[in-house]
Formats: sequence, structure tokens, C-alpha cells
Amino acid sequence: MASLHGASLQLASRRPAKLGQTNLGQTNVRKATVVTLVLATCLASAAFAETKKEYSFAVGPNANISVDTQYGAISVRPGSASQVMVTATLKSDRVEVDLQQMGNRIQIASHLLPGADEQTGQVDYEVLIPPDATVSLHSSTGPLSAEHLQGDLTLEGPDAMVNVRNVENGHVHVQTMRGPITLTDVRNGHVEIASISGDVHLKSVSGPLVQVNSGSGKIFYDGDFGSGGDYKFTTHTGDIEAVAPADVSADFSAHSVLGRVHNDFPLQPKQHSRFSFDAGRSFFGTVGKAASEVVLRSFSGRIRLKQR
Amino acid sequence: MTDPKQGISEADAIEQAKQGHEAAFEVLYHLHKRRVYSLCLRMVSNPAQAEDLAQEAFLQLFRKIGTFRGESAFSTWLHRMTVNVVLMQLRKKGLPVVSLEETLEGEDEAPRKEFGTKDLKLTGSIDRLQLQRAIDRLPPGYRTVFVLHDVEGFEHNEIAQMVGCSVGNSKSQLHKARLKLRDYLKFMRAEKAKTG
Amino acid sequence: MTCSDVERVLPEFLDGAPDGALPDEVEAHVKSCPACSDLVSDLKLIASQARQLAASEEPAPRVWVRIAAELSAEGLIRDPESAPARPVFVPVPTSSDRRWSAWWLAPVAVAVLAAGSYVISHKPVPQVAKQQAPATPVTAPAAAAAAVTPAPVPAPAPQLLAQKSAKPESARSGSAKSAGAVRSEVEPAPSAEDQQFLSAVSTLTPSMRTTYELQLQAVNADIRETQAYVDRNPGDMDARQHLMDAYQQKALLYQIALDRIQ
Repeated sequence: MASLHGASLQLASRRPAKLGQTNLGQTNVRKATVVTLVLATCLASAAFAETKKEYSFAVGPNANISVDTQYGAISVRPGSASQVMVTATLKSDRVEVDLQQMGNRIQIASHLLPGADEQTGQVDYEVLIPPDATVSLHSSTGPLSAEHLQGDLTLEGPDAMVNVRNVENGHVHVQTMRGPITLTDVRNGHVEIASISGDVHLKSVSGPLVQVNSGSGKIFYDGDFGSGGDYKFTTHTGDIEAVAPADVSADFSAHSVLGRVHNDFPLQPKQHSRFSFDAGRSFFGTVGKAASEVVLRSFSGRIRLKQR
Repeated sequence: MTDPKQGISEADAIEQAKQGHEAAFEVLYHLHKRRVYSLCLRMVSNPAQAEDLAQEAFLQLFRKIGTFRGESAFSTWLHRMTVNVVLMQLRKKGLPVVSLEETLEGEDEAPRKEFGTKDLKLTGSIDRLQLQRAIDRLPPGYRTVFVLHDVEGFEHNEIAQMVGCSVGNSKSQLHKARLKLRDYLKFMRAEKAKTG
Repeated sequence: MTCSDVERVLPEFLDGAPDGALPDEVEAHVKSCPACSDLVSDLKLIASQARQLAASEEPAPRVWVRIAAELSAEGLIRDPESAPARPVFVPVPTSSDRRWSAWWLAPVAVAVLAAGSYVISHKPVPQVAKQQAPATPVTAPAAAAAAVTPAPVPAPAPQLLAQKSAKPESARSGSAKSAGAVRSEVEPAPSAEDQQFLSAVSTLTPSMRTTYELQLQAVNADIRETQAYVDRNPGDMDARQHLMDAYQQKALLYQIALDRIQ
């Protein structure tokens, strides 16, 4: 990790911050024109000078951080428990970074200036936050990434690729239009994913609620359907493919109105099922103690439940 | 028909439902929910499915309520709609709505002869729960006609039209269903007597 | 008359006369034959007791909840106190007012989401849906009606659905092919809401605009396909749920576009 040079958030001086010095206890700032450290650019032309800006905020417990950029990547990782550190890489001078702090709530947004486009308006953010902070990320283009955290996470973006890894206890809410979504090692929280045509990959994801809705995107699940949770995967035309170990403990219901289903597990039949008994298009029954409930539904996609 | 609890007559509720008043729909629902649901439950023997079917029957009714002109009784209209919803579901699942044999064969004589003439006649009233269980045990084809005729009170010609069989078929199906029920009930009674 | 003779004619006569009287020859035999006498009285008893079962079961309260939700979603409930059936649309905004250009999308998107969140399932209506419902504006059910009306048909919702459900067909093998046929049909003219969605996204970059247009086409096709299937299979509750899901997908698309335009 590069050493951080704190930047003063006060409007007044234009002197560069001294190396190694960080300024804590920041105040409210609106549309700050911030003293920056201008790093080497890849282009000689001044019009595409890429600039890196760094900010630092002191926060208490239950911090709430939101980062919103029209274009650009956002990545969030854990840092110190009392600080939020943001590094923003602005691709041109056609875009600004707006910041606001109200107590423990930090709002960071890219502000496009006239004439900005997808390239010139791009800002990439790297954010270090307290591990249990609540985070909300928006970017049209992404990618969005969050790792090793325990707070509530919201990641949204029409085209953004979303990656969430090693998250525990919090609510994870993801929404994309086309962007593919990957969750790995997410445990013990509520997971709610909605995508229109993005594929969703879940690896080792378990918890009290794991709900995925996709239109034409596919859903892949590789895990143990554990924690006695409610797992609901629904697609319209996308296929659903789930792989689980032989010792899974779950109550399965699967039904595709028009698509075919396939199941590797020997299922104990259930008394009441709300699905009609079309053998090729549904299967339902329990494995083990049926601790979790798994509902797989598609309108015309294939549904496959395989044993690892 | 006026429901004093609701303070609104069925005719008024129908008119208001046509205007889209939610309270009116609710009145109509509560007036007829038991009949509709019981019919569905008797036909499919599965409470979860019966709920879905009852829901669908009411929805179809409410969607078409604009076309109800009052020529026939509202309950008759709803009743028939419910039967159609259930029959459609049975057909979709590939279950036989009605068996196709026309004539009464002697096949049911053997089980009856097992009991012999010395067996208990089904005197007095039949335990309602036992009767329900016995109906649930009926093969779907027999069950349909029995429920429609003996439980719901449709005539054979109506049943024939709804399920798509002949009147003679309907009568023989009903007879077979009753014979089977008689056997089940006697069996249940005998079992109960054994265990005391 | 023998016992088997009686057996053969019983189906014809047992329900005949209202007072339960059988034809003379049959009556004569029955009176003198204990077995047939028992049989006849048993069958009559079964028939009469069965009558008691009519309307004997009470459905769970959730059945009404689901019916009401569906009625609301289909626009069949129009309370006189609330706003008119169709939301009032503002004229197409100019690009200089980007921040507010798509505010009208908010009630539509929220309403369709609220309508979609009345999940038709066996579980009781989840808490989330209950909390969402009161929060939506009074116009929500009416706006949902406007939003969920199938795009190409201008007729008001109740008559439309009545017409469609008057023609039930249960052929499953045909439905997959027909569903495929529906997908490949010519794209119908966009609805009023879709037109405003399209003009709102026209302020974006050309590639994003094309993306949104394609996504809109795809979700509309999904809705049409599912609606067509539901029309042919009105008893299929799961397909109905998929139709609600498809509308929810459309609401999601509107919401994503709205987020971006603001």
C-alpha cells in the first residue's frame, strides 16, 4: 500500500501537504477544490492529466459511507476502525469529486462537468473503511468490489461488474442491469441480488436469506445451502445451476414452467407442494434434515441441481 | 341475499364491485369463500392446492364481474366457474376427470362380499371426518362425480356437460363412487371397533 | 328380480324420485332382501351425509390477501377516494433539466415494485411487502394498474383481462412453440410509459441509450411471452408469479435508469 499523504480539506491554502503529515478531524466541505498531489501522467497533453486525490475522514462507530460515480471503478476494503481513507483517480479535469461529511456519514460523488464523457468523466475510487461500516456503492460502468467486511453493503450499477468476497454478518444488496455479479465466501447475512441480464455466481454463500432474481442472466451456486437459511433463486429465461455436497440438509422445490430440470439428489417426497406434478419440469423433496429451504424457479430456463 | 354483518346486500355488492370498490369484492368473497374452497378441497384433497384453486376461481369471477347481468343466481355462476377452474387443473395435470367406462361391471361385488351380510350396516350418521377421508381415498375419476353430485348438488346432465361425459356415465360413476365409499367406511368402522 | 338385477338398475333409480321411492319391482325385492336393503339404505345415507360437507371448510385468511393483491395489481380495484386511474404525465423534459427529467418514473417504478412485491406464494405476505405498501403514494395501486397494463393494448385493464381469460387453452405442448412464436413477433409500438422512458434515456451516451433500449425490448418481450402463456393456462399459479416477476424486472429497469438520469 502506498503511503498516504493526507490532504488538507480546508479551502484556504494552496500549499501542498507535507509528506507524512495527515490532517484529522475534518469539517464539512462542499465542492472542495482540494489541494492535490499531481502524479506523473501517461500523456504529455495537459487536457488528459490524470490526477490522484486523497482524502481522510475521522469517524466513530456505525459509520456510513457512500460512493457514487457515473463512470469508474470503486473498491472498498477494511482499514482502521476510526478512519475512512479515499483515493480518487480522476481521468481528466472534466470531472470533480464532491465530498460531504455529516458526523459518521460520508458521501463521496463524482460530479461531471460540461463536455465530460465516459472516458474523461471517469473517476476510480479506492476506499478503506472500518470493517463494520455500512457501505453503498454506485457506478454505471464499474467494476465494484468489496472485500473482507462485516457491515451492510449495497452495490449498484447498470453495467458494473460486481465482486464481493469474504463478507460476514451484514446485509449484501446488489443490483445491476447487465453487470455480472460474483459473491465468494459470504456468510451469515441477508443477501439480495437483482439483475436483469447479468449472470450471478455464488460460491460458498450461505446465510439466513439468499435471494437472487435475474431476468435473462444465469444463476450459478456452488455451496452447501447452509445455516438453515431461505434460498430463493428465480430467473425468467436464465438457467439455474446449483452444486451442493451430498450431505446437504435442505428442502428443495424446483420448477420451470417451460424449461427442463435435472436433479442428482435422492429426494424424500414432501406432503404439500404448490407446484404441479410435471416430472420433467419440477422436482421437490428433502435431503437430510431439511434445515434450509431452497426454491429454484424459472419461467423458461433450465434448472440443474448437481452433487459435488 | 343480505348479510347483516356487512350491512350490504349481495346485489349491491355486485354493483359496487363492478365499480371497482375493494370492500364490495371482499363482501362477495366472504359470502362465498366456504363453498368455493370446500368444493376445491373435496376435489383435490390437498389444502395448498385448494387454496390456489379457490383464489383463481375468485379472481376469474372478479375479472368477469362486469359481464354479470343477473340472469342467473350469482352463486350458481361462481359455483360453475369454480368447477371449471378445478377441472381445468385436473386436466392439465393429466389426471382422469372421469373414468370412461360406460356400464356398471360386476367388479365391485367381490369386496362387498368380503364383508358379507352380517356386517354392520352404516346406521345412524356417518362421522364427517371419516367421510372426508373416504372421499380423499377415492380415485380422482370417481371423486369428481361424487363431489359434484352428492356434495355440491349438481344434476347429472350438468355434470355431464361440465366434465364432458354422458349422463349414463355420470350415473354409473356416481354409483361406483358410493359403493367404494361404503366399503371404505365399513372398513374404517371395523378398524375403529377393533382398536376400541 | 334378483340382487344383481337390482344392482344393475340402481344407478338409474336411486336418485330418481325426490322422496327416494324406487320402482315397484325394485322396492319389492329390496323389502324382502336384507343385503339389498342394507345396500340401498347405506347408499342413501352416504348421499345425504355428503351434502353436509358442502361449504364446510374455511380457507385461510391469506387467500383473501392474495386475491386482493392480485386485484389491485390488475387494476380492478379503483377506490373513488384515490387519484384517477392513469398518472398524469409531464411533457417530455428538455435536456437542460437533467436532474429532474425523470421524476415521473419514480411513482411508476415504485408502484410496479409495490405491486410486484405482493408475492403470490404459500408463505404469508412477507414483512418487506407490508412495509412497502403504506409507503407508496396513494396513486400507487392506480399507477400500478397503468404500469402493468400490457403495453400494446390500449383497452382498460379489466375488460382486457376478461377477454383474454375467456379463451382458456390447456395444450402444454403447443404453448412452448407458441411462446417462441410470440418472442419473434414484430415489436409492438411502445406504451406511453415506455416512450417517456426512451426519451429520458435518450439524454445518455449513444451506447448507453442503445443498451437501455435493448434491455427494455427484452423485458417487454419477457412480459408478452409470459402473459401469452398465462392466457392459455390461467390456472397455472407459478406462471402467474413469473408474470409478476417479469413486471418487477421492468420496474427494476426503470429504477436503474432513473438512478442514472438523476
